Amino acid sequence: MIVKKVLLVGSFGVGKTSLVRRFVNNEFSEDYISTIGVRVSTKMVQANKQVLKLLIWDIAGTEKNERIPKAYFLGSSAAMFVFDLTREETYLNITEYIDEIKELSGLDKFIVIGNKVDLLSTTELEEVKSLIPEEIDFITSAKKDENVEDAFKLLAEISLK
Amino acid sequence: MKKSPSDNKKKDNRFDLLRELLLEEDREKFNALNQEILVREKVSARVDPLIDEKIEDLRKNFPEFFGDTITETIKTQIRDSQDEVVDALYPIMGKMVKKFIIAEISKLSENINQKVKKTFSFKEVFNRFKRRASGVSEGDAILQDAFQPKIEEVFVIEKDSGILLGNHSTGNIANKDMVSGMLTAIKAFAEDAFSKEGQDLEDVKFETFQILLYNFQTVYVAVAASGVLNATFKGKLTDRVNDFAEDLFDDRSDLEDESKLNEMIINYLIKDDLN
Repeated sequence: MIVKKVLLVGSFGVGKTSLVRRFVNNEFSEDYISTIGVRVSTKMVQANKQVLKLLIWDIAGTEKNERIPKAYFLGSSAAMFVFDLTREETYLNITEYIDEIKELSGLDKFIVIGNKVDLLSTTELEEVKSLIPEEIDFITSAKKDENVEDAFKLLAEISLK
Repeated sequence: MKKSPSDNKKKDNRFDLLRELLLEEDREKFNALNQEILVREKVSARVDPLIDEKIEDLRKNFPEFFGDTITETIKTQIRDSQDEVVDALYPIMGKMVKKFIIAEISKLSENINQKVKKTFSFKEVFNRFKRRASGVSEGDAILQDAFQPKIEEVFVIEKDSGILLGNHSTGNIANKDMVSGMLTAIKAFAEDAFSKEGQDLEDVKFETFQILLYNFQTVYVAVAASGVLNATFKGKLTDRVNDFAEDLFDDRSDLEDESKLNEMIINYLIKDDLN
């Protein structure tokens, strides 16, 4: 059985945990993420004609001065950066944030996800998209279950590369 | 009509002529090969002694000719394979250090036992005789009677990723992968928050349940045990884990074979009672 560690990163309140909850059923109590800054879930997925187990490390978004142990980022095979389409501060410094995580994890490619699309009109969405310097891989809604499965499938495929 | 001798002679000549025509090319090849063999034999007779002499010279002066190159190659190899080298040395070094510590602890244990001997009441003397007959120290025997230690779970986990490589379980943990991931996260959190650089978390303790973490370069082994874990039990367990790790790192492909790894866990840590 192939097992891959993947990361979910992004600012506080962007909906990372909601995405995981939508994608995965088995998970630990909410307390873990607020106590040690990470929660690990597992999910079997099929990607590139292979069945693999994803070990999803949902790393808490933190305030500027809070520290996340560097070890959380090690040994991962892929990562997903999630931002909130309705909150500018979650994507304002997206490139710097991604570069920092790239350095910590040693990964060279990130999947970029804009979440909470259900709260925006089409025009607003286009405006937001034009402000983001990175290529957005998926626009999702954890609430309405839009593109969640596809986003994790792409994450799994990248983890196999 | 009978053939005359002159007829036969004519026929022989024709055969010779025919043979000459048909086999001329083969004869040339044969002569060329013959020539080549003769040349090789001549060359061989002159060159062989020189080669033998050079081989003998090389044999005698090998360290002088290649010593530096080999040393440099080994150095490069070690530098490029530090993880493998550390994994190979880790259990051996661990054993040496542990033996020294155990010897010191044994001395301490003996001192304690001396004091216990003096302070125990007359009524306890009989029990002490019984325990001594079984070769167990006083302190350990009392604790062992009350809370016999038992290995409940063994997890072999990849250090950075938290991926579970192999395990043995007597309990009913539903999602072992998630547990190994969370254990790795908790370990990383504790190490980041409390330890100095390069130190590893080695112990998570509940009232009568303990998770012992044995750290190696690329993996760690988490042993969850119930009961009171006395020094003898821990000593034996450490020995077994080090032996297990030694065997495991001897052939790193075992790390990728879950069923083989699980079998090794049983053989080294579960099969024989550690009490």
